[in-house]
Amino acid sequence: MTTYIVRRALIMIPTLIGMTFLLFMLISLAPGDFSMALSVSGGGQMEASSRAATIAYYEDRYGLNDPIIVQYGRWLGRISPLKFGVRDQRTDKGELVRPPREVRKPALWKLFIDDLPNPPPPDLEAFAPGQEPARVYRLSANDYARTRTTYLSAATRFEVEAGRVLREQSLDKFVADDGRLDGAKPAGFEGFLFTTQRLPSEAVEALKADPDVERTFGAAVTAYTNALASRNRIAASFATKPHPEAGMPLIPRLVWLGKPDFGISVSRSRPVGALIAEALPVTLLLNAIAVPIIYFVAIPSGMLAAVRQGTWFDIASGALFVALWSVPIVWACVLALGYLANETTGLGLFPVIGLHSDDADAMRFLPSFAGGWRAGFLLDTLHHCVLPVACLTYAGFAVLSKQTRAAMLDNFNADYVRTAKAKGVSEKDVIFRHVFRNSLLPLITMFVTIFPAMLGGSVIVERVFSVPGMGSLLIDAIYLRDREVLLANAAIVGMVNMFALLLADVLYAVADPRISYK
Amino acid sequence: MSKEAPTERAPTSDAITGVHLMQGIGHQPTRGFWTEAWADVTRRPAAIAALGWLSLVIFFGAFAPFIANGHPLWVHDTETGDLSSPLVEHLSAVDVLLAAGLVVALALWFAPVPIEKQTRLRMLFFGSLQAGCSVLIAMVIDGYFGARDAPDFARQFEQTKLYKPIAAAVAGLTPALIAATILMLLRLGWHAVAAVVLGLVLGGVLHQRWDDPPDVYDYAPRAAQGEIEAVYTLIPFGPQQGETSLDLRQPGRSTLAAVIDGVVTEAAKRKGGGGFADDPRFQRKDRSPNGVSMSTVAFDDAVMEDLRAHLEFARPILREAPEDMAAQAEQLRASGELRTLADVARWLEGDDAPRFIVGTDSLGQDALSQLIHACRLSISVGLVSTSIAVVIGVTIGAIMGYFGGKIDLLLYRVVEIFMSMPVLFLLIVAAAVLPRNTYMMMIIIGCVTWTGAARFTRAEFYKLRDQDFVQSARAAGLPLWSVLFKHMLPNGVTPVLVDASFAIASAILAEAVLSYLGLGPANQASWGKLLSDATNQVGNFVWWLAIFPGLAIFLTVLAYNLIGEALRDAIDPRRKKARV
Amino acid sequence: MTTTAPAPTTGPSSVGGEGLPIARVDNLAVSFDNGRGPRIQAVDGVRMTIYPRQTLAVVGESGCGKSVTAMSMLQLVPRPPGRFDRGNIWFDSAEGPVDLLKLSNRQMRSVRGNDIAMIFQEPMTSLNPVYTVGDQIMEAVLLHQDVSHKEAYDLAIKAMSDVGIPEPHQRIKAYPHQFSGGMRQRVMIAMALACRPRLLLADEPSTALDVTIQAQILELLVELKATRDMAVMLITHDLGVVAENADVVCVMYAGRVVEYATVFELFADPMHPYTRGLLASIPKLHERTERLVTIKEVVDNEAEFRKLPGADKGVRPWWPWHDAPADLKARDEPAGDYYLQEVRPGHWVGVWRTEAVADHESGPPDLAFRKVDSETTA
Ligand SMILES: Nc1ncnc2c1ncn2[C@@H]1O[C@H](COP(=O)(O)OP(=O)(O)OP(=O)(O)O)[C@@H](O)[C@H]1O
Ligand SMILES: [Mg+2]
Repeated sequence: MTTYIVRRALIMIPTLIGMTFLLFMLISLAPGDFSMALSVSGGGQMEASSRAATIAYYEDRYGLNDPIIVQYGRWLGRISPLKFGVRDQRTDKGELVRPPREVRKPALWKLFIDDLPNPPPPDLEAFAPGQEPARVYRLSANDYARTRTTYLSAATRFEVEAGRVLREQSLDKFVADDGRLDGAKPAGFEGFLFTTQRLPSEAVEALKADPDVERTFGAAVTAYTNALASRNRIAASFATKPHPEAGMPLIPRLVWLGKPDFGISVSRSRPVGALIAEALPVTLLLNAIAVPIIYFVAIPSGMLAAVRQGTWFDIASGALFVALWSVPIVWACVLALGYLANETTGLGLFPVIGLHSDDADAMRFLPSFAGGWRAGFLLDTLHHCVLPVACLTYAGFAVLSKQTRAAMLDNFNADYVRTAKAKGVSEKDVIFRHVFRNSLLPLITMFVTIFPAMLGGSVIVERVFSVPGMGSLLIDAIYLRDREVLLANAAIVGMVNMFALLLADVLYAVADPRISYK
Repeated sequence: MSKEAPTERAPTSDAITGVHLMQGIGHQPTRGFWTEAWADVTRRPAAIAALGWLSLVIFFGAFAPFIANGHPLWVHDTETGDLSSPLVEHLSAVDVLLAAGLVVALALWFAPVPIEKQTRLRMLFFGSLQAGCSVLIAMVIDGYFGARDAPDFARQFEQTKLYKPIAAAVAGLTPALIAATILMLLRLGWHAVAAVVLGLVLGGVLHQRWDDPPDVYDYAPRAAQGEIEAVYTLIPFGPQQGETSLDLRQPGRSTLAAVIDGVVTEAAKRKGGGGFADDPRFQRKDRSPNGVSMSTVAFDDAVMEDLRAHLEFARPILREAPEDMAAQAEQLRASGELRTLADVARWLEGDDAPRFIVGTDSLGQDALSQLIHACRLSISVGLVSTSIAVVIGVTIGAIMGYFGGKIDLLLYRVVEIFMSMPVLFLLIVAAAVLPRNTYMMMIIIGCVTWTGAARFTRAEFYKLRDQDFVQSARAAGLPLWSVLFKHMLPNGVTPVLVDASFAIASAILAEAVLSYLGLGPANQASWGKLLSDATNQVGNFVWWLAIFPGLAIFLTVLAYNLIGEALRDAIDPRRKKARV
Repeated sequence: MTTTAPAPTTGPSSVGGEGLPIARVDNLAVSFDNGRGPRIQAVDGVRMTIYPRQTLAVVGESGCGKSVTAMSMLQLVPRPPGRFDRGNIWFDSAEGPVDLLKLSNRQMRSVRGNDIAMIFQEPMTSLNPVYTVGDQIMEAVLLHQDVSHKEAYDLAIKAMSDVGIPEPHQRIKAYPHQFSGGMRQRVMIAMALACRPRLLLADEPSTALDVTIQAQILELLVELKATRDMAVMLITHDLGVVAENADVVCVMYAGRVVEYATVFELFADPMHPYTRGLLASIPKLHERTERLVTIKEVVDNEAEFRKLPGADKGVRPWWPWHDAPADLKARDEPAGDYYLQEVRPGHWVGVWRTEAVADHESGPPDLAFRKVDSETTA
């Protein structure tokens, strides 16, 4: 059994990687830069060069000017608990410190010089004499941030100049929207693997001839050299391990185990991991209430319909199931909100917003009667959950009831039921011991259909009822164009879903003796 | 006992024995598999009702511009005496093709010509496929040349006179010529000619309707000035025709409600304090939306002043010039016919003022017009995206099931990857990052939901693979595509097609959800979008925007589900078993 | 046949006495709903008797109603679509003679598995896949016998070893899918025989199995029948099986009995052309024939239908493909054009109810013959 689960879980890994790849590609290759729309949405008013500078800053921060495959690899490396290479370090404040990234070389540098200058090897002692390693690291990090920013703006200036020259040459396709030389950042499918484009020779001549280009390029190279020197210094400082190392080594220097890092949310300036840690339990709570309800209500009603096949109960419940199943979840939510929750247009029976009352923090957990009735945290939460859970369950309930009925009817005509009857087993035992036990198998399989649908449905439910779960987080991320959150959210939901499917598989294997674990 | 012919020997009771069956007594005449299944489906009242509803939706979808349009059907220019039809002028190519297509389709279906129904069905299918391709190509061309960031040569070319005819010809004839070539290769000469003719027609329509004239709804003021006389369609509002002063009108209110509301608000303001709303005497039935009982407010000079101002403001939607109406109001007041605001309201709206039968959305756009125009989106997204899903799914599933082994293993991982994400999440993410138009929406839904069809087809092909007719087809050296799609597909596609009905239903649901979230096609009426106006952050609830669009989605989804159920029952081999 | 006063040939007192059959099927008719078409008459006026310790073989082509007849005896015909149109099945139960078709569900349950057990055609699907075979055998035991769980377990082990399942102590915990087809059929038999029924309905117990296993299963049945003192209704296609195991043979066609005789009589002198066709179509070891005669060749031959004793008086074998004879004197009831006539003592043939038959109607088929008895007396 354990080996079965392990094997089944191992198969999940390629699927998981495939899924994240699909998501990453979808989000990265979509036309329009999803990640930067927010940060640069000053749009028209912002001056062209400062706009370019902002974009350049974000490109650098998120590594957007690398080939997409590299970006994906880096992202996967961050979110994977299994990490490769040099271990990260953690400061005593809990911040994660990574080895510094490479400094991108100035664009088109080969047109102007043969070799980029090499900075001298770093000398930490000369940089910060007599300081302890952590402080050396901090100083060099500050220095690095400064030189790197300087370099970025110098490089941007150069790229804008080059863009201007190319425009004059009517080579607009090499110039990006922001006026910079294009080809530095991935755009659409061209950015998939390679990021540099070939310029025609007359453009090269024009670039070389332009004095402004020449000047800004020189500045960029100087700034590059400084940045590189600074980077080498911080790398050297990092290598002295100024902070304790994070994670747990598996194979020294190669593989280690660390916390998945989902990055920082642009729109909320908080770690995405923390956002998800808040949202995921909410969604799971809703589903954890909804799934058992579905099964406990649907199975008896489906069984009853099957046993009373052809009676009015069967027909009426069949019609009800189809109808329920066809009710769009958005409509159900809106109606519930308007007619059951809203106080002016409806009955006002349930709260409209959120999962807790405003004063929930001050509540006791259990209801109390002393000095008047107080609902307490538990009842308050349940009260808030009623409508969201109802909207989540009705469709699954209908599907599962129908499925139960169909499975029962299938098995009513099975040969082994005839055998059981021929033994003299009573009608009730035939239904419960034989028919139902066999109908259970397709019902377990149904979980594979129901659970993803419910996860999807919780997007709507959470949005309409303002429940701060994964669905709300996703929609917010979309409206705020927050790429890190979007990616992490979708990936986590995918993983939750896959674990649920794994659970269903294991349950099935337990329930059906015909599945062998070997 | 007389001698009877054996076949005429009636069963002794109401029952028949196996021998009777063998003699042919009691056998139902065998018709085609699908014909029989369809006959079974149409025997169910629920399925009939579902088909009826879908026909209605299709009808509305195809003829929406002729039912609900802000452009008048006819305009009679009183000076020149010219008759013109702004409605026709503003029809887009898709409008024309859909309406004409439906008429042609119905005519072809019911025409008393000796063509088999199956052939007609095939003609309709391929005809609409070709038309769809042409429209898509036209859209792509237009998108490329008309884009803001189009390359210079494209922009220049677009300015030339030749652009429209060439583009229309390319769009119309490319699919036609491809189809014709294939048909020629299959030695179906007449079909090829038909495809080319259809292509020419399509090209002509596209050329005629290449650019959409801008929507300017200035007919009311011109009519008020007496320049024109206009005759409108049943619902005189376009789906995107909104006036900012008309936001969120209740069902049954007229366009002039804004004028009244304005006057009432002014009156309330003049009264000072909390206005009329706080006065319990005014909490009566005929109160206006701001809580003023209009019959208690006298039509005095101040109200007349307000009325004059607001009539001027509402000039574009008045049936007469504002000055004339003000003068009329003055007269009627003098004669004592208009004494309170309620009288004024009644007089102003008259009987013939265009009304918002099911209200408006928050932008003041007529909800009914949107409901009708949204039929098109719902039906087309359902059908097209499911077709895309079926084509992808069947192809991949067929390959998986037929080859098995490593290919199966590999492709099944792809299926699993798609299944590992909840469909709605994947849809939302995709819709969020990709461009928002109808075609992209269809493609997204199709590309995300194909796994079901793939799994069904895989299972069927897996079973079929070892059957004799497949083995013999293979042994005969037929090419792979022929074995897969000509010999195996017709036998293995049944579960996919039955499932397709449910798939269409869920595609419509998906469309509604995406539109609800604001991720639907831009500039396109949609039930989901309308529904999203029903609630807002402030906690308001607009019942008419909740009930009507929701009901429309529900009924359409229900219809597809009912048909799917009926089809599944009709095809279910377990139910067929008793039949001999 | 009997020396004492003739027993009534129908009614409750026609079973269960000394020298009387254990079960008597009387004019059974079962039909099925057929959706839009007319109902299908699967069984139409079948009569037969089974005596204790007798093996009654029912043969006939596929779809002629054999299984439906057997399942009617346990009310296992699914209703709807099935329906008992008319007839009785008298059975000598522990509480005296009863009509099996009229029993309430509760009474029927105490008969099923206890007095009458049944083995089905499809061993692969007739066992519940989610329970161990032990559970399934014990379920039958616990239902009908007042025993503890432990005793039931022992009985199940015993039943399994009786039917020749090796290592019953291990196999009892196995699931059906872990057994081969032949072993599963053995489990079915063990389950059927666990409560020592007096009548076993064996519906083609060996058809789905390969030849060597078939032989084993049949041998097993014969052996068990001898030790258990029970009657067996053996449904089969295989005339070789019939010749070897049966005492009395009942040939069915299109829901009716066309011939009913002892196995010796039937093989020596088949009277209905259909039976003759059936027998002619099996190869015989000791005769050299050019080629086998098919059933069709026999029944298409008009002359074959004129060989019946009394043919000169107008007694004609019933054959649904023929027109009824001119002097048909049909009873005013379903299947009234047909009668199972005793054309020779101890030999019944399904004939048209012509005047000649109507005037001298015989009793219903009733044969207490057992091979063992005749062998011991011989
Ligand atoms: N559940 C059912 N529903 C409808 N018709 C049935 C049903 N069961 C049996 N029949 C009909 O009754 C007739 C007799 O069936 P039955 O199973 O008794 O045949 P059989 O003699 O046992 O054949 P075989 O040798 O193939 O087992 C068949 O024509 C069949 O169509
Ligand atoms: Mg049978």
